[in-house]
Amino acid sequence: MENSSTVDGTQSFAREKRRRKFFASLEGYLYLAPTLIILTIFVFIPIVTSFQISLTRVAPFGGRSINVGFENYTRLFTSPEYRDTVRITLLFALYTVPTGIFFSVALAILLSYPLKRLSWLHRLLIFLPIVISTAVTGVLFRWIYHPVVGYLNYLLEFLPFIESGPNWLNDADVALISVSMAVVWRQLGFNTIIALAGIQNIDEVYYEAAKVDGASTYHRIRYIMLPLLTPTLFFLLIINVINSLQVFGEINILTRGSQATRTMLYSVYDRAFVGTPQVGQASAEAYLLFLLILALSIVQFRFLGSKVNY
Amino acid sequence: MIEDTQLSTGAAAKNTARSAAPVETTNAGAGRWTNFTLQIVLILLGLFVSFPVLLAILTSFKVPTDIINYPPTLFPEVWTFESYITAWTSQPLARYFLNSVIQTGVIVFFQILFSILAAYAFSILEFPGRDLFFYLILGSLMVPFQLTFIPNFILVSELGWANTYAGLTVPFLASAFGVFMLRQFFLTLPKDLYEAAKIDGASSWTYLWKVVVPLSKGSISAFGIFAFLSAWNQYLWPLIITNEPEMRTLQIGIRFFLFDQERGADWGAIMAATVIALLPTLLIFLVAQRQLVKGIATTGLKG
Repeated sequence: MENSSTVDGTQSFAREKRRRKFFASLEGYLYLAPTLIILTIFVFIPIVTSFQISLTRVAPFGGRSINVGFENYTRLFTSPEYRDTVRITLLFALYTVPTGIFFSVALAILLSYPLKRLSWLHRLLIFLPIVISTAVTGVLFRWIYHPVVGYLNYLLEFLPFIESGPNWLNDADVALISVSMAVVWRQLGFNTIIALAGIQNIDEVYYEAAKVDGASTYHRIRYIMLPLLTPTLFFLLIINVINSLQVFGEINILTRGSQATRTMLYSVYDRAFVGTPQVGQASAEAYLLFLLILALSIVQFRFLGSKVNY
Repeated sequence: MIEDTQLSTGAAAKNTARSAAPVETTNAGAGRWTNFTLQIVLILLGLFVSFPVLLAILTSFKVPTDIINYPPTLFPEVWTFESYITAWTSQPLARYFLNSVIQTGVIVFFQILFSILAAYAFSILEFPGRDLFFYLILGSLMVPFQLTFIPNFILVSELGWANTYAGLTVPFLASAFGVFMLRQFFLTLPKDLYEAAKIDGASSWTYLWKVVVPLSKGSISAFGIFAFLSAWNQYLWPLIITNEPEMRTLQIGIRFFLFDQERGADWGAIMAATVIALLPTLLIFLVAQRQLVKGIATTGLKG
């Protein structure tokens, strides 16, 4: 106990209690302060400033920024160029999300078998991508996609109907698919962990009941596991769509943001930091992307909230 | 080895020795064949998944002529460190490495410190508006970096922090994810412990560092691993905030090295630089795979 309470003898107990409560509160705020200050400056305030910037344009001469209202937004709705980035972003999600979920659930099913030996090694090899950065992924796949000495085209030549593999990164028809494959790979470890956790959360009772009924492996996966895995699959869907909207490193390294792989985010970066900066236009695009991600995040955190006790 | 975390009763905690598979594998008869086939299938799949990394490591030990041979070989004919020497000397790779170490070190240190303090306030101390602030911080997780990076770039540039360690680190010194993760653990500590410490005359500051932190080493190191990985692997921010080569981090360094070298096609050196960039994360993975997997499985987040 603190030593001040009996100094005066007659001091009001209530006052002392208030005083101590005040200092206890103050202490709480002090502990919070560093986190709160950093997040306020670098996360909360930018929500507002970003919007303000999106309403401006830099004047051609003098470099002063002028207010243009919603011009940067309205231009987007009529711009075929922007429509293209939206189309590419959606295609990119379509290429990465279902593929990623399919492979990770398949791997998780295999990993869920209670093997006595070497299961640490399987996990080690399959979870490995979780620590790989976007830059490293970019470089690794640039090597695999190498048009002349790359492994992928070398392996493709073994197939009877292929004479030579495509130019994976420079051919506009396949570039987006090439980037997608690299991203699916990088996220495979993460997705598999989530899927495996979901599978292992399913109560054994269900399988045992099915076993009694004599259900086959296929039936157990199709009619018992997958329906019970729906919440996990839904979570994977949301988080993978969000991730697909946030891919940058691989595009920057694999194709340097070529026309065929110019996603919404890449367009934001390109406008703001490459060539003549169009910061206002870039911010308008960033804001639309933000609203899209925010809507998906709200769904995601609802899920997180139902999973974790506060 | 880092201690086991006690995050919560997450599914991955039960990873091993559970029979909740869609198909029962028994030790008798038919089960043995299933086990055997499955071993082969899983090893092959594992090698397939880790192939890009294995290929990079193998390539980095080849001699240059070996690399551009067609058809490509998997293993080096002669093992050599030549590519590492080229990579290390033909570009300021050592400098990039140092930059990454400083950038990551500063971010990880402060994220851990600030997250401990905030998590402590949210779990043990009591003050008006506590829940409100908690939800505010949690809400920041929903604001993607894609929105904030332009205003932050402008702010940091105006502060004169472009091409400085301050510019690389200050925007990331706090982590809502860390606050959330550590709070979850601090809440599991018995309340009586705090009352007892108070009666013994300990201030809450002493209680934090003498009791809470030692008891939470597992969770704190688990968070530290996540903080390390996301800081070390950062790409977009260091790319825009550094344009002087000597301030680049390793991730940005290998990108420029790739584009510089590609014409000369010294893929051995490129792969060596890449292996150097991924080596620390690989080591973390080998040492702390369990903590990483458990953290992902219980929070559904990558940090």
